[in-house]
Amino acid sequence: MIVRVTPSPAAARPGDAPRTVDASTAVPSGHRVRVGHHGPADPAGRRTVEVVVDGWRFEFVVEDEARAALRARASRDRDPFGGAGGPLEIHAIIPGRVASVAVAPGDHVQAGQTLLAVEAMKMQNELRAPRAGTVTRVAARSGSTVEVGDVLVVIE
Amino acid sequence: VTSVARPEASVSLRNDGRTRPFTRILIANRGEIALRIIRTCRDLGVEAVAVFSDADVDAAHVTAADAAVRLGPAPARESYLRADAIVDAALSTGAEAIHPGYGFLSERASFARAVTDAGLVFIGPRATAIDALGDKLAARRTAVAADVPVVPGTFEPAAVDRADDLDAIVAAAERIGFPLLVKAAAGGGGRGMRRVGSATELPAALAGGSTEAHAAFGDGSVYLEREIRPARHIEVQLLGDEGGEIVALGERDCSIQRRHQKLIEESPAPGLSAAERADLHAMAVRAARAADLHSAATAEFLFDPDRQFWFLEVNARLQVEHGVTELVTDLDLVAEQLWIAAGAPLSAAVRAAATASTAIESMASASAPGRHAIEVRLAAEDPASDFAPMPGRVGDWLMPSGPGVRVDSAVRPGDRVPPDYDPLIAKILTVGRDRRSALRRMRRALDEIVVTGIQTTLPFDRALVRDAAFADDEGALLSTDWVAERWDGAADRARAAEGAAAVAAGIGPAVARASLHRDDGTRSGWRAAARQAMTERWPR
Repeated sequence: MIVRVTPSPAAARPGDAPRTVDASTAVPSGHRVRVGHHGPADPAGRRTVEVVVDGWRFEFVVEDEARAALRARASRDRDPFGGAGGPLEIHAIIPGRVASVAVAPGDHVQAGQTLLAVEAMKMQNELRAPRAGTVTRVAARSGSTVEVGDVLVVIE
Repeated sequence: VTSVARPEASVSLRNDGRTRPFTRILIANRGEIALRIIRTCRDLGVEAVAVFSDADVDAAHVTAADAAVRLGPAPARESYLRADAIVDAALSTGAEAIHPGYGFLSERASFARAVTDAGLVFIGPRATAIDALGDKLAARRTAVAADVPVVPGTFEPAAVDRADDLDAIVAAAERIGFPLLVKAAAGGGGRGMRRVGSATELPAALAGGSTEAHAAFGDGSVYLEREIRPARHIEVQLLGDEGGEIVALGERDCSIQRRHQKLIEESPAPGLSAAERADLHAMAVRAARAADLHSAATAEFLFDPDRQFWFLEVNARLQVEHGVTELVTDLDLVAEQLWIAAGAPLSAAVRAAATASTAIESMASASAPGRHAIEVRLAAEDPASDFAPMPGRVGDWLMPSGPGVRVDSAVRPGDRVPPDYDPLIAKILTVGRDRRSALRRMRRALDEIVVTGIQTTLPFDRALVRDAAFADDEGALLSTDWVAERWDGAADRARAAEGAAAVAAGIGPAVARASLHRDDGTRSGWRAAARQAMTERWPR
């Protein structure tokens, strides 16, 4: 079976991209592998799977490639990792407190521009725009507490 | 507290109330260090009182203690930094003494003073000594007076906002030589620090460093120090009693750092000659004696390529990395601290360990087997994203064990690592008869670790203990620049990503609705079957 493996927004890093993988592929050798949580599939047939390899933690959304392609065609702009023109949700990748918000709805931002800063464990982490666009929503306030996966900013 | 006669080893500590240092103490800390201190309390038959914030209601240190007192909300300044609430907690629970651990209030003289003013014992150096050593400029002057070479630099606060004094500070900088560092007198952890390459950069660095120091410590005093680079960071464990006897319990090499935070520590320091080691220990003891220090403390030095030691500072508290010294000396430093705080003199075991640690040769021989210990810090940080903090809820949590392995941690499976405190979640320590065996054990121990739910520094730690430069027995390639020079986290993660995606694909997407009843994703048969199907290859 051919499946699409997409980094989950809650744990993705800049540059992580979806992969199309033959599920019968042997696991590469030399890797120390641990499968963490993996819930049941959602109604759309997607399952979130946590995998830790050599200490690196990944979280993937796994779905049948044919279904993924169909869905992508039907709503090209729904998937944050899909079409480049659709809305892009910026999620919190660490829990913490929002230290500052640098943008407001309607702002045009460049790729790499700072959107907001989240403070955790005595350090500030800046979230930057992965690509250029217009801010359509700012869901975080300065001083508010955020959890992993929370939508912070939407860029269109 | 009156003087306490220390029991001989044959006397049972647990069965005789008079043969323990205290009946009950309070631990003013959290996490692994609070749990580590509670363990010693149990070993000595001393009752332990824990304190906690709202983020730590169910934390391991709270569960392990005999009693626990809530301090306040999660932010440290509303809980673990509230000296008044902590002293009140000790008084209300009948604790006789307070152990501050490291961090939080451990090096605040005002806290030590508040504890003693309340009629309690502070388990650590006197407030006057903490004061004198907390000011890095005062510490530098003390070291010079004790004939200990300090890093070349200034000894009084630099004038940062008076133009007429700028000529004087530039002249001082020229004498020291560039590049140099602007450092905070009240400093620590690299805050307020600026690297200055030339005289033209100096005014801005002084102003910037001073502003940052003021924000971090409430004191904007800064001074100049020559940048010694490359350099190794070597520190000496000190232990002293109230009578003024003070000894060195060996040294630790902590050269592997990132942003002035230590990542790995070992004892003894590789490649030191017996003469260099004896000289280092003697300098540390002289500086400590001059500062009127007792209890546990650490003198930090830089060791340059010309094999010269330069005094940096003294930390007047138990260090994070004290465990490596414990593994080498077979002492419990927290127990020694408790006895010292109760008025006991240094034990015979401490004096013997001090003599032995100064006399050792750097490489153990067959005729004189030695001990070597290494500590690796596991933190909730992402080593592919410049070590950004990664708090969150832990899923699986398996720590190593077996011969020569010690783990200090307060994390249990399913625990939440809160975003409010330090990202350190475990210290992995190994000990062997020499550096090679300790290092081999560390590689094995790190391969036994399983953590799901959060990203940790494990990939970095594994790469580090496999690196040829670190494996060099003479320590010739150890340097405080190691991380910047040799670690590419993004590339390491990218290599793992491909395999991880293949594993996820193997788990597969949807299953038929009919089988959902046994597919709850946590403890289901599906998961067990998936695990079984996965190729687990240990270790690389």
